[in-house]
Amino acid sequence: MFLFAKLGCDSMIPACPLASLPRGEALRIEADPPIAVFHTEDGEIYAIDDTCTHQDASLADGWLEGCEIECPLHASRFDLRTGEVDAPPAKRPVRTHRVVVENDVVFVVPSDAPPNLPPGVTVKGQA
Amino acid sequence: MTTSSVIPTLPGRYYVDPEIFALEQKNIFESMWFCVVRSSDLGKPGAFKTVQVGTESILVTRARSGAVRAFYNVCRHRGATIRTEESGEVKRTFQCPYHAWTYDLDGKLIAAPNLTKMADLDRVEYGLVKVHVREWLGYVWVCLADDPPSFEDDVLAAVTERLGALDLIDNYDVPSLEVGRRIVYDVQANWKLIIENFMECYHCATIHPELTEVLPEFADGYAAQYFVGHGAEFGDEIQGFTIDGSAGVDRIPGVSEDQDRRYYAITIKPQVFVNLVPDHVILHRMFPMAVDRTVVECDWLYLPGVVAGGKDLDKSVELFHRVNEQDFEACERTQPRMSSRTYAKGGVLVPSEHHIGAFHEWVQDRIG
Repeated sequence: MFLFAKLGCDSMIPACPLASLPRGEALRIEADPPIAVFHTEDGEIYAIDDTCTHQDASLADGWLEGCEIECPLHASRFDLRTGEVDAPPAKRPVRTHRVVVENDVVFVVPSDAPPNLPPGVTVKGQA
Repeated sequence: MTTSSVIPTLPGRYYVDPEIFALEQKNIFESMWFCVVRSSDLGKPGAFKTVQVGTESILVTRARSGAVRAFYNVCRHRGATIRTEESGEVKRTFQCPYHAWTYDLDGKLIAAPNLTKMADLDRVEYGLVKVHVREWLGYVWVCLADDPPSFEDDVLAAVTERLGALDLIDNYDVPSLEVGRRIVYDVQANWKLIIENFMECYHCATIHPELTEVLPEFADGYAAQYFVGHGAEFGDEIQGFTIDGSAGVDRIPGVSEDQDRRYYAITIKPQVFVNLVPDHVILHRMFPMAVDRTVVECDWLYLPGVVAGGKDLDKSVELFHRVNEQDFEACERTQPRMSSRTYAKGGVLVPSEHHIGAFHEWVQDRIG
């Protein structure tokens, strides 16, 4: 509750009802830039930037194994907890976001760190 | 009116003209059910084979559900070949190596660079194009026609026509047999020469001394395929269908007393031969690659216990392997002369070959 008070509820993005995101599944939120929310087989929920840092691909379309998501295009794997990447072609980590589950609804608290977007992908309103 | 003892074959150009072959590819191989892969060769999801059917390359695989799927081996983006290997295994997806369009094992487009910016692109519509699939005798059969002909009328009926009843092949329990040996022959001959050769036995006493020793009635030139429901009987001294007539391996339990000690042969047009003997089944799949080149994959199928037990299959395999080599050598001897001016109107079929005339009429009817 202290966290909510500090951040303010306005900065939380409602993602989906918890029940609509089964374990092993992912959801893409059309934020700017898009965010991917994952429900792992172990029951944890994580949110990261949806776009691979190597090329414009949706990580929500990738392959979830444990706490790692494999990019569907070139198989770089990102750690959902830290955003770190295991092997090229991606070299930079993805941004991670805090997740809050309240009243069985999943919310994402977007990071205010700068995103690591691939070439050719920009945040709207920025060149 | 006098009747001749011989009837004409097809003219020589039917065996050398690329335009006729192109018609056969379109109206026969790309229109009919075509046997491509032994189901057990696709052992688990993601295992795949690529095969040529007519002019097309077809990717055959097994989906997560365990179901067999077949697709045109063509990327929906810019047409690159998805997989160039004859066989292999993918973990989860087929990815085009050109621009990384990525398809799941059901063919659906699941990822591509910038795909999220093309929300209007339907992932099923732009998935790999599916080919119709059936499984029978433990093999995958595909049909490239939009509206496939009846499998029962085209494939199963060929068995009924030869054996007299469809369920007689069930006695051999072909789906549960295992591949004990596979030999691939790259034959420099038109596919029809191979079919015609398989349909007649006028040549048997000349080029198949070992086979004729095992099946003495073949010396009279009438093949098992001349009759309905007739299996050629083993010679009195013959113990099994082996190169030297020695005993074979364990008999397939369902084989009836009537079928024991006999050899049955079936041609399933356009590219499959099935040979039934009491302890094994030999199945040929032909892949016509060019007007003068046909790849033949031949499987020797035995009871699972026979294969697992590591029994010596050499004498069993050697008999029909030698028959194959003898037959294909004859076809390769014939192919180069199909363009001779003396064969422009073709040759003749003797009475024990007259049933091949029906095959020729069938070909002409299909290609119009």
